[in-house]
Amino acid sequence: MSNGFSRREVMAIGGAVASTAALTPMARARMMPQDMDRDVFAAVVRELRAIVGDDWVFADEASTLSYRKSGIPDLRGEHVPSGAVAPANVEQVQAILAVANRYRLPLWPISTGKNMGYGMATPASSGQMILDLKRMNRILDFDAELGTILVEPGVTYQQIHDYIEDNDLPYWIDVPTVGPIVSMVGNTLERGVGYTPYGDHFFMQCGMEVVLADGTVLKTGMGSIENGNTWQAFKWGYGPYLDGIFTQSNFGVVTKLGMWMMPRPPAYKPFMVRSAEVSDIAAITDAVRPFRMNNLIPNAVMMMGALYQLSMFNRRADIWQEEGPIPEEVIKTLARQNELGMWNTFFALYGTDETIAATEPIIRGAFEAIGGEVLTDAELNGNPYFEHNKALMRGGLTLEEKGLVRWWGRSGGAIAFAPVAPAKGGETQGQTELAIEVMNKWGFDYAPAYVVGSRELHHIIFLMFDKGDDEQSAKAEQCMNEMITRFGERGWAAYRSSVSTMDLVADQYGAANREVNARLKQALDPNHIIAPGKQGIA
Amino acid sequence: MHARQRRWTALTLGLVLLAGGGLAGSLSNSASAQATYEIEPRAPEYLYARTCGYCHGHNIAPIIRGRNLPPAVISSIVRSGMGAMPAFKPTEITDTELEALSEWISQSEADPEEHGQ
Repeated sequence: MSNGFSRREVMAIGGAVASTAALTPMARARMMPQDMDRDVFAAVVRELRAIVGDDWVFADEASTLSYRKSGIPDLRGEHVPSGAVAPANVEQVQAILAVANRYRLPLWPISTGKNMGYGMATPASSGQMILDLKRMNRILDFDAELGTILVEPGVTYQQIHDYIEDNDLPYWIDVPTVGPIVSMVGNTLERGVGYTPYGDHFFMQCGMEVVLADGTVLKTGMGSIENGNTWQAFKWGYGPYLDGIFTQSNFGVVTKLGMWMMPRPPAYKPFMVRSAEVSDIAAITDAVRPFRMNNLIPNAVMMMGALYQLSMFNRRADIWQEEGPIPEEVIKTLARQNELGMWNTFFALYGTDETIAATEPIIRGAFEAIGGEVLTDAELNGNPYFEHNKALMRGGLTLEEKGLVRWWGRSGGAIAFAPVAPAKGGETQGQTELAIEVMNKWGFDYAPAYVVGSRELHHIIFLMFDKGDDEQSAKAEQCMNEMITRFGERGWAAYRSSVSTMDLVADQYGAANREVNARLKQALDPNHIIAPGKQGIA
Repeated sequence: MHARQRRWTALTLGLVLLAGGGLAGSLSNSASAQATYEIEPRAPEYLYARTCGYCHGHNIAPIIRGRNLPPAVISSIVRSGMGAMPAFKPTEITDTELEALSEWISQSEADPEEHGQ
């Protein structure tokens, strides 16, 4: 393959990183907290080192580099941390918060910092110190009868997968796109989604422990009942349900999280429905919706655009060398060569052979009625695109979608836009038309996926660009801003956003929402030390 | 197995797992716990299979085994995240682990099972 790095290139690039980290463009690995003198910052660092030990405070260029890396555009250095501090336990988190309050040091909590498409570990504004919770990585409890788990922020899906295998537990995990290296806590707090019937992660969350800015440790739901044993069994507790305000928020630092695990079904059958035309998306959506409402299809249905799939395993230059976005006919031809349509709808049936056999004809009939080709392992076994989703829909671990970031080549870049809408055909058709118009105007390829959760759909658009090209990075930024704005004008807003667009999206949710969030923030974190700017909350 | 007993077993086995199979012992929920691989490093093969190998040799990123790449270069790329590759922090792969991992990758033979770009 022509795009692999040669050994010489690897050595040259790696050598440059190794020897001149402080001198390369990556040199801006650190920026001081706003309004903090260097000597004050030095005092902060000393105090933090006294809490976590010298090895776990990162406050120079070289050691902060890992926290600086992201794939989104950041031409003006607006998402550069001042350093990082990594506590090992709740007491250290409390002590760090006390220091932060005393010095007004902004802290940006991360679990593993792999928020792909949204900024990875980088903060909403420069100068924040990363509060890296990865060292808190214990699986604290796994109830084999109830299928519940209690984990710390540093626990990855890989870790839980291995744990289940090693203990022969009859459960599946539900992974987000980059499962092996991602935290279950981090993804759930961002309200990420997966691919099995347990794909709505926050819906499957049950109980959390939160350290508030003043050091108070709050256990939500049933977590504070003396001698209680229901923390991971009953979500709602008593009185106002609080868990939600600690997701996509900066009201506290979540240090433990409970989740429900999916019982491993006796039988599993994955499907792909191949549809030939981009315009088929409306009919597909309308065919999917009833099955998600009556749960005949129990998992979130993915309608994958051909280019989203092709960009996992291909580089753009191998497909198209001319100016402008890749023409539809070129994509269609390549899709056909790979046994794909322009939309490829993935779902699965779970249960026993008998229940699957009873359900399959009903679903087949609905998709065949709209011209879809309903395909299974019988036709597609071994096809890498089918195998990818086949793995995901049973909680399998893969990083293949990282390939999207290399679409434009080795310097890689991708920023995600994820508007939500009612699961109706007209919505998908309208969103697809608008996205193609805006993205093609800026010279980018439209690589979409729709996920029908229940009555809603998430539209996942990866805007892939060359981060090594400043001009293209600027266009990516402008394109993203225009998409958010124009979708907003049609009433479509994102369910989540990159750190670079949080204010823009927050504005679309209205002044009253922002004001209520601001009041909550003021009450819970009056010095605004936890992740200022997160989801537009100062 | 009784649920409570099963739960405790799972807890203990989980600790062993976190340590890459090398650490046995009791675990409590006490605040003094820390990531066990800081005490007992995980083996390079274990780390490669659970991190690097998902992309390298799997169509997503270049094959890096069997190429005699210098360990120092590998380490610096892991920490900085070259191109589309994510950066991996000392909290994810400790300095001690990274040193061994880079050495192992550098000296490892090509795996015929690996494929792609």
